[in-house]
Amino acid sequence: MTSVLEFIQFVLAPQMITGLSLGVAVVLVALGLTIIFGLLDVINMSHGEFYAIGAYLALALGAAGISFWLLLVIVPLIMLPLGYVVESGLIQRVFNKPDRHVTTLLLTFGLGLVLEEVLKVIFGPNTQRPPTPIPGAFEMFGIIMPNYRLFLILFGFAIIVAVALVVNRTALGAMVRAAAFDRNMAASLGVLLAPVFSVFPTMGRDFIFMAFTVVIVGGMGSIGGTVIAGLVLTQVQVLSSLVVSPVWSDPIVFSIMVLVLVLRPQGLFGRIGHA
Amino acid sequence: MPSTPSKNTSAFLAFDRSGLAMRASHVLVALLIVAALGFAAVGAALNDTFYLRLATEALILGGFALSVDILLGYTGLLSLGHALYFGFGAYVSALVLKETPSFWAAMGVVLVTTLVFGVITGLIANRVRGVYFALVTFGLAQVVAKAIYNTRALGASDGLIGIPIVPINLGFMTVMSNAPVAFFLFTLAFVVLLYVAAAYLLDTSFGRVLGALRVNEHRVPFLGYSTHRARLSIYVFAAVIAALSGALYPMLRGFVSPELMFFTTSGNAVITVVLGGVGTLAGALYGSVILTVLKSVIGTMTEHHLIVIGILFMAVVIFLPKGLMGVVRPRIARLLGGGAR
Repeated sequence: MTSVLEFIQFVLAPQMITGLSLGVAVVLVALGLTIIFGLLDVINMSHGEFYAIGAYLALALGAAGISFWLLLVIVPLIMLPLGYVVESGLIQRVFNKPDRHVTTLLLTFGLGLVLEEVLKVIFGPNTQRPPTPIPGAFEMFGIIMPNYRLFLILFGFAIIVAVALVVNRTALGAMVRAAAFDRNMAASLGVLLAPVFSVFPTMGRDFIFMAFTVVIVGGMGSIGGTVIAGLVLTQVQVLSSLVVSPVWSDPIVFSIMVLVLVLRPQGLFGRIGHA
Repeated sequence: MPSTPSKNTSAFLAFDRSGLAMRASHVLVALLIVAALGFAAVGAALNDTFYLRLATEALILGGFALSVDILLGYTGLLSLGHALYFGFGAYVSALVLKETPSFWAAMGVVLVTTLVFGVITGLIANRVRGVYFALVTFGLAQVVAKAIYNTRALGASDGLIGIPIVPINLGFMTVMSNAPVAFFLFTLAFVVLLYVAAAYLLDTSFGRVLGALRVNEHRVPFLGYSTHRARLSIYVFAAVIAALSGALYPMLRGFVSPELMFFTTSGNAVITVVLGGVGTLAGALYGSVILTVLKSVIGTMTEHHLIVIGILFMAVVIFLPKGLMGVVRPRIARLLGGGAR
């Protein structure tokens, strides 16, 4: 009996909390994708790179002595003009072509390539890790977790709720807002996550796979679906790694996606006929 | 996406003229063959190995890009994980060659296994369309690549090394895979054969069903054709073309690595097709040559050549949506049509 309790206390619960912080992060990245798609009808393949840029900006500005809290405000502001240039300078140019989905996908794919390489030029290919902004750990029911993870989960949920409110509240002007909103969000997420995961130029690409899976399972354009799918799939990912080698957690998550597609091609909460 | 009547009409007219456009593609491929023969002659005279091998790789990747163009250009489906089949062919070929260095055995096994593998994965990928299709193919390749990356028996991250030199018995002569000129010419013939097969298939009534699918998918079933079967067939056909191209890779380089299945490889093929011109087949081969030349030229100046290639790619998507072939092919078609449009 004690061994079961110990398993819960030292293995299962910490793993689930880790999964939750990962889940919140995945949901935020996936929300950006699904909002752009649902409202703008564009798949942004460079979404992950925007996230990486946010992390690198945080890293560079943090090293220059700017406090973490200030970064949370500054980095999204710096991203605004970049988002604007991409939207009006690139996306709008091909937006009205017949194969909009494919064309914008190709264009943002090219953009992602360039951005990733630019990050390599500026910051070098190596992995870096900023110091944790909120040190210390927190104990509850004998379960120990780092304070920063707790902050990440709470702050992440706050952003998710805010996004849902903003997007669902008004339809008019939502398109315009989404365009700017998403890029800020992807970038500020980079700020938040940099201290947990390490920062490296291809991080955007690594993270985007899970985000895409979440968007597909949840249903393209559905905010609720994205939140549920994101939290469930990341739990599957971390918990399965307790049972089988972590190497196989991605194939397991992907198999779930395939299963969902076979049974419900539009995703769990997606609208029929969309995409 | 519902098609507007005007779009239907223009698509129909484009389709009607496709015979002339395809003949222009054939002329361009013939030009490419002549240029390649000249290149081989110069390479042989200068006793070169490096550039001949590079050009052979460009042809192999051209064959791979051809398969991406079959999907994107003729069904409108963008695969972001097509390297799955290129890598699959390369790995199966490498495994067979390590057992027995027989070209025909390797090709036979690759053909049969890809048919099976292509049908299984094709059933999954063809459940969805449009953006979903791009994401699912991306995911499929990602998962399989990661599985191989972590499988010891398949060499894990190192890949499979030590693939022997392969004698390719053509009946009237034998080509050794380590002979730069001979293997280059053999690869040229092989890839041109793939091109001919693809061009022939897409010109049959089956190809016309695909053309109809691209224009209006919902009307095709009323004509008595199964859209599902047509889509799956072309998907498997494209998978086979990619795998057969991939099967040549270990013969050229003597090794295979998981990178062959990575997104970079899939993405490169997409870039190749877009640069060359989507839906032209010849564009895939030209695109591959252009991309290889660009990479080696810019690569000598900076290791960050992807910035230049990425910007060029974006410029083509915006300003030249039909790629290089969009500029060149209509002129050839006009010449073929005797000046009449």
